Amino acid sequence: MNERELVARAKAGDFEAFTTLVNANKGRLYALALKMTGNPQDAEDIVQDTFLKAIDNIDKFREESAFSTWLYSIGLNEARAHLARQKSTDLKPIEEYLPTRSAEEIHSASDHALFDWKDPHVALEDRELREVIDRVIAQLPFKYKEAFLLRYFEDLSIKEIAGIIHESVASTKSRVLRAKLAIRDELSKVFEDRYGKKMPRLY
Amino acid sequence: MGRKCLDYIKELNDYLDGDLDPSVCAEIEKHIGECNNCRIMVDSLRQTVKLCREGKEEKLPEELESRLNGMLKARWQKKFGRA
Repeated sequence: MNERELVARAKAGDFEAFTTLVNANKGRLYALALKMTGNPQDAEDIVQDTFLKAIDNIDKFREESAFSTWLYSIGLNEARAHLARQKSTDLKPIEEYLPTRSAEEIHSASDHALFDWKDPHVALEDRELREVIDRVIAQLPFKYKEAFLLRYFEDLSIKEIAGIIHESVASTKSRVLRAKLAIRDELSKVFEDRYGKKMPRLY
Repeated sequence: MGRKCLDYIKELNDYLDGDLDPSVCAEIEKHIGECNNCRIMVDSLRQTVKLCREGKEEKLPEELESRLNGMLKARWQKKFGRA
């Protein structure tokens, strides 16, 4: 049975059809919630509350998007509510994330490891790397991580994301880019702290 | 990275995401070929996205898994009068 049929049955009150939709989406929703919050307990609450809200509102789902997209938009609202008390600082402007030194200066400087991106899995054990990435994403201000995760974790287009977060395409693009630059910046610091000069250079 | 490269950053990002017009792609590729800083930026942004795409699915903790179905069933019964 395809998603459209499952949704139609669920709307008619078929709990089994809804359960199939839940099972198809719960792992990804939990992963998204973990990335949004960086906290397993909060992520569990978000998953639970998202599915409960989905039941309450299933008759309002107009099927203009995939069921999963609708579900993630509920999940993001839940995450926003959970994180409302979290201290939020804005990210730096795009230009402040750009290197100010030339490649030659970087090569001769002691912090050249900052730019070693050949194989981060060698730099950190996989498990540790995952934890670092999850922490870095979770620490971003909500509006940036939301846009970033919808783009690269859920593979939605900029236009789809703009619709979900009620922002212009230009503003959505800017949020995704600023998040990406901030994450890159933080990961660079982790690699540098860990390996310093010991890492081979990119060039 | 000078003013010129700063002008390129948004296009570098579009280039990585495959959202760039082919004619502009050629210009970007030419610039990357000539500018180490922008090449580093492209490499590192590409790697950043690749890393963040990993772990797209997580297994639910057993405790949540076991209570979720019961909670959903109870809410379903409340809404539809059956489950």
